[in-house]
Amino acid sequence: MKAFKSVPAARPRGDVPLLVCVCLMVCFGCLMIYSASSYVGKVQYGDAFYFFKKQALGAVAGGALMAFFCFFPYRRLYRFRYVAVAAAVALLALVFVPGVGVTNYGATRWIGLGPLTLQPSEVAKYAYALFAAAYFSKNYRKVKSFSGVLPVLAVGALFCLLVILEPNMSITMCIGMLMLALVYLAGTGLKTFALVLIPCALAVPALIIAEPYRLERLSAFLDPWSSPLDEGYQLIQSLYALGNGGLFGVGLFNSTQKYRFLPFAESDFILSVMGEELGFFGLMVFFCGCAFIIWRGMRIAKNCGEPFGYLLAAGFTLVYGIQVVINALVVSGTIPPTGLPLPLISSGNTSLIITMASMGVLYNISRGSAVSTGLPRAPSFNK
Amino acid sequence: MSASLAIAFIFCVIAGRFFYIQAIWGRELVLKATDQWNREIPVIASRGLIRDRNGSVIAGNENTYSVFVRPNAVEDKNYCAAAIAGALGLDGDAVFQKISRKGVSEVTVAAHVAAGDVEKLVACDIDGVYYARDNTRLYPYGEALCQVLGFTSTDGSGISGLEKYYDALLSGKNGEIMYTTDIVGVETENAAVVYAPAEDGSSVMLTVDARIQLAAEQVMREVYYSCGAKAVSCIVLDPQTFEILALVNYPSYDLNDVPKDDTDLLNALSRNRLVVDIYEPGSTFKIITAAADIEEYLKGNSAAFSPEHIFNSSRTRSVDGTTIKCWSDHKNGKHSNQTLAAALNNSCNPCFTDIALSLGVDTFYGYLSAFGFGNVTGIDFSGEAVGMLLPQSMVRDCDLARMGFGQTVAVTGLQLACAAAAAVNGGNYYVPRLLKGVAGEDGVFEEVSPVLKSKVISEEASRMLAEMLEGVVTEGSGKNAYIEGYKVGGKTGTAQKYEDGKIAVGKYVSSFIGFFPSDAPEYLALITVDEPQGAYYGSTVAAPAAKSVFESIIALKNIRPYE
Repeated sequence: MKAFKSVPAARPRGDVPLLVCVCLMVCFGCLMIYSASSYVGKVQYGDAFYFFKKQALGAVAGGALMAFFCFFPYRRLYRFRYVAVAAAVALLALVFVPGVGVTNYGATRWIGLGPLTLQPSEVAKYAYALFAAAYFSKNYRKVKSFSGVLPVLAVGALFCLLVILEPNMSITMCIGMLMLALVYLAGTGLKTFALVLIPCALAVPALIIAEPYRLERLSAFLDPWSSPLDEGYQLIQSLYALGNGGLFGVGLFNSTQKYRFLPFAESDFILSVMGEELGFFGLMVFFCGCAFIIWRGMRIAKNCGEPFGYLLAAGFTLVYGIQVVINALVVSGTIPPTGLPLPLISSGNTSLIITMASMGVLYNISRGSAVSTGLPRAPSFNK
Repeated sequence: MSASLAIAFIFCVIAGRFFYIQAIWGRELVLKATDQWNREIPVIASRGLIRDRNGSVIAGNENTYSVFVRPNAVEDKNYCAAAIAGALGLDGDAVFQKISRKGVSEVTVAAHVAAGDVEKLVACDIDGVYYARDNTRLYPYGEALCQVLGFTSTDGSGISGLEKYYDALLSGKNGEIMYTTDIVGVETENAAVVYAPAEDGSSVMLTVDARIQLAAEQVMREVYYSCGAKAVSCIVLDPQTFEILALVNYPSYDLNDVPKDDTDLLNALSRNRLVVDIYEPGSTFKIITAAADIEEYLKGNSAAFSPEHIFNSSRTRSVDGTTIKCWSDHKNGKHSNQTLAAALNNSCNPCFTDIALSLGVDTFYGYLSAFGFGNVTGIDFSGEAVGMLLPQSMVRDCDLARMGFGQTVAVTGLQLACAAAAAVNGGNYYVPRLLKGVAGEDGVFEEVSPVLKSKVISEEASRMLAEMLEGVVTEGSGKNAYIEGYKVGGKTGTAQKYEDGKIAVGKYVSSFIGFFPSDAPEYLALITVDEPQGAYYGSTVAAPAAKSVFESIIALKNIRPYE
């Protein structure tokens, strides 16, 4: 590393297209939030720019944090693995402290900090990715055995437990999928992986039975018009928006569904408004952008010369990718509705800031990988 | 590599799903969603006018408005309520209550508000308050023709009379103004307004002549009060076409102030009794018996009596062991040596008993049927009664004997007027009607042509009968209807009323059928006076009324006396 630093021509530039794409996404997100929320903002808060302003503020903060992590050597994050887990657990627990936790729509998912609210589960996803990457990179020889992956599973289970108590099914699933993906990517044996996968698969029906409202949502998902005013409402409104958009969309700012028909039009269901205003082809362009980010992220992971960077990049990319996919599937009524934001686009500052920060880390890893081509790859890389 | 493939695969699945929703399912989804995106304000179609045969409007519209409020779109409910209450003269608290209701997207605050009041409210320019024209029916002649015209409900649809009968023609088709709104009904900023214009109802023209109607109303009102009758009615029709020129049932009510609160009263006053109620006609029915006899005589039926035949002068006839008496005592040479013409003049019952019995049930019933008894006339009015006619198989001689002079039979006034018209107009029975024409899109009325139902008697028989009936007026019981210089024909009738199957003592229906000019009738009138006090003979009660009606027509139409 030091040897290369002295040669200016080889100065690592990192993955600039990724950063450009992320910045474009965030700007586009602000625009869509304005479009989707101007009416609701005006009616409910007396300000058409209410949600836009909040998001712009988050974008500035996220941009700053992203810039910071672009230049903050990612390897130093290794040291924060326990701190991150501890902080995440503390924040997740804090949600349940009366007076601190903020309850909305029947779920206690936020921490109130004066005028700001923080969603700890958003932080937890990334803390978990960091912890797993750090653990596996140090103990990659143990990953073949079940006892070797047990600490990662234990932390994952703890996070899942705390998040499901909020309750927040979607982020629980997100963390669960992340856990499985990371265990797999770390190079565990097939037997061990199966040993992890089966209980996880069994947990899903158990969780559904535990909370009847999930079952209602499930049935509403299968036939939303059986309960058009209750469980099926949101999905129907999302489908109306998409249907209204057709192939080419009704044009920016022209959504009809944003007139308070579609709940969470500026957050979890912003994809519906995008589909309505920009049409199928507009969405395809957007999805190409998402796929580009995921592809660059996986490429960064692959090109990273050492296990921690590899797993961290893969983990952060997965967090992003899993959310995009789940959100798209929910909005299109392919899977039952859950409250998961579309990262970088949906209104919600915690998600925006931390996703941008994670993109900064990805960029930093890409810089690192560019300078460390000489290092040997971890044995588990060539899967 | 495998990761890239996995990513590509997942995105292909998502793309496929979105393509299905947006490109294939989209149209159906939009159809389903349209309902929730739009709110409509109706544009009330203007109800068609009802005009008389000369074009005078007898049922028109006043431009009024409905005022309604979308509570969700109102910013200051107190102010809004106060403004509405102030402009329309309503109770402010009640208005406030109305517009503060939860869970409704639209509240009608007032209907049939005069244009001036609405203008006051429009000037306040309050968000969330809307107006729609609703029209108020206006009847320039008040109570004239009220039972025939009928009235409309507050929402402007016909609920009785011709307003109901021709509702499909009159009502037109409401249009609507469609706004796109948000979920609670607040108009969106770029609200696309779709305006579907209302199709106004067609105007109709009636056969009724408003001037004759008013004259007849005036005459009947006077008769009603001078006789202290329970009810009076008058129908005037054109015997050549069976067009109804006037139709009066008195007492009546004001169409502009329908007594909707008093259901019994309204039911009583709004009956078009001449069409929907039946009564025992009495001697006016002798016109039919005479017509049957003359026609059968001309046909060569030996059972029929010739016009020169002298009837038995006895006061009584004995049939099936019952005795039938004439209303007159036949003393001092009265009702002696009568021909058919004299029998009509004197209205002598036994002569008509002789005719009916002589012709026999089959022939007599054939004429009753041809003259429309036992069936509806087919007039364009709902609820027409068929009358009461014994089934032919059950008719005994004593029944037939009485039917000859108008007893044991019940008819509607309209049936009798039509039958008499057919008997004197040359023998043609048309379908009576009230609708003369319907205005096409260019406003020109397309006339309905008369429908000939049947030929009941020959020209010659009809002419002979008309001559005899003219004699009734010039020298017989109908003298009170005589007008100097005009050929008026007619027949009186005085029928006893029955209550619970028994003769009601002192209760009569006095009537008179008159027509003129008798050699080519243009006007035929039937007057009935139900339960007159004091004098009760048709000749003294009803005949003068017919004379008054005819005199009015002569004056209105400026008809010259014959040379």
